[in-house]
Amino acid sequence: MIEARAMSKRYGDRLAVDSISFEVARGEVVGFLGPNGAGKTTTMRMLTGFLPPTDGTAVIDGHDMLTDPLRARRSLGYLPESPPLYPEMDVEGYLRFVASIKGVPRGERRSAVERTLERCGLVDVRRRVIGALSKGYRQRVGLGQAIVHDPPVLILDEPTVGLDPVQIREIRTLISNLARPAAGGTQHTVILSTHILSEVEAICQRVILIHRGRKRVDAPIADLVREGGGLESVFARETARDESEPEAATV
Amino acid sequence: MRHVGTIASRELRSLFVSPVAYAVLTLFVLLAGFFFLSSLLQFEEYVLRMQQFQYFDQLKELNLNDHVIAPFFGVMSVVLLFMVPGITMGLFASEKTNHTDELLLTSPLTMWDIVLGKYLAAAAFVSLLVALLALYPAILLLYGDPEVAKTLAGLLGLWLVGLAYAAIGGFASSITRNQIIAFAFSFVLLLVLWMLSFLADLGAAGGAIGAATGFSDFLRWLSTAEHFESFVKGLIDTADLAYFAVLVGTSLLLTKFAVESVRWR
Ligand SMILES: Nc1ncnc2c1ncn2[C@@H]1O[C@H](COP(=O)(O)OP(=O)(O)O)[C@@H](O)[C@H]1O
Ligand SMILES: [Mg+2]
Repeated sequence: MIEARAMSKRYGDRLAVDSISFEVARGEVVGFLGPNGAGKTTTMRMLTGFLPPTDGTAVIDGHDMLTDPLRARRSLGYLPESPPLYPEMDVEGYLRFVASIKGVPRGERRSAVERTLERCGLVDVRRRVIGALSKGYRQRVGLGQAIVHDPPVLILDEPTVGLDPVQIREIRTLISNLARPAAGGTQHTVILSTHILSEVEAICQRVILIHRGRKRVDAPIADLVREGGGLESVFARETARDESEPEAATV
Repeated sequence: MRHVGTIASRELRSLFVSPVAYAVLTLFVLLAGFFFLSSLLQFEEYVLRMQQFQYFDQLKELNLNDHVIAPFFGVMSVVLLFMVPGITMGLFASEKTNHTDELLLTSPLTMWDIVLGKYLAAAAFVSLLVALLALYPAILLLYGDPEVAKTLAGLLGLWLVGLAYAAIGGFASSITRNQIIAFAFSFVLLLVLWMLSFLADLGAAGGAIGAATGFSDFLRWLSTAEHFESFVKGLIDTADLAYFAVLVGTSLLLTKFAVESVRWR
């Protein structure tokens, strides 16, 4: 459902992402791990088509982001690092706007917005102006805009950053439910970035770890726990290695 | 381009909950009232003085169109110079500070959905300003007989000036994330564009670029003031219409490139 094909991104003469490739299958929840500055946001921006890769391409739901961007974007829900919100709009109006530009047919918008308000726990603040909401609620509205059109692919950049423990648990539950929907619901494929290891253990089946723009680990969590001595030691080991060891580790 | 309307209506709704829109509306209406009244009073004073000195020939020459409405429209076209940038400064700049550019550019929208949608919103606001402005000369109908056609031509000119300003202001907003810079940049652009004909005159008079009369003609052609004048005189010329179309089209195209280029840095 999500495929990165040898994607690289160069900012000036700085190589932020260096030929990253991976695949995420339908229904998987993958944790995209790495220390700050590793290149997670840059990679996700290339996956979503916001940034064109210097090299390589992304394929979303079978559509190449470079050659068929509109269709690729239609399959996509994206929560950027900072939630993209119009502070002067109310929650409901904002979600209706997003539903519209994401291509939800007019007749289905109302129910799409209702479903999103419920899923994200926003029913009580539906008429509130976004700029007056707390950070936790704003993050939920951000998540709401990513799922309002029920896209098969979700790309979430640090969805729980800056939230308190209760809010973090709520968001995690929500994300877990997206990948295991009730009968008839869309099964979402999720890739979420974080530098919180427990987050990955709580909701992901697989980990892709990058460091200094390169993929270092790509393995099921179960394997890492069994063979690598747990997520924490894998993370410490992989991010401690320096540039002189180029190839990606496979555990 | 199915989403032009969606983008435009969101933009308008946001505009009308912002204090900027109301500040611009209020200031514009007040300034219009002030300048209208002052050109009217000046006109009356003229009339009085000419009756006093019995300059009947000149008195016959005086008319509402040339001596009240034309100067009024002229002043208002200058007022638009700093009103329209106030409206357009946030068009694209605020998307960057809200991070909503990431939402728009990863949605199944075309670049024209975004650029035209935003332009239409600004154009609608400008149209509102010009419609409000039309009320003042309409007052003259009550106690005088201005030429309606000539007045309407002038209003059309003012509207086109406003539409061109909106496109240029939108472009200024697309190249920065700072609304103040967007305002200042569009104001400078518009001012220069407005004054090009004066520059051309200066050049011709001084003979500095006398050799390049073609160039000074080109400057004069580029100047909005030059084209606006002919509308106020009641002349609706396709060449002038084309000028504004070119100005709007070029600005929108540049805006599109600027929005796209953010992703290619
Ligand atoms: N717009 C940009 N211009 C220049 N350098 C950038 C830009 N965005 C990110 N970088 C650099 O690229 C590297 C990767 O950044 P980023 O993708 O944000 O990492 P992460 O999300 O993993 O923290 C960092 O060194 C960062 O400084
Ligand atoms: Mg990041």
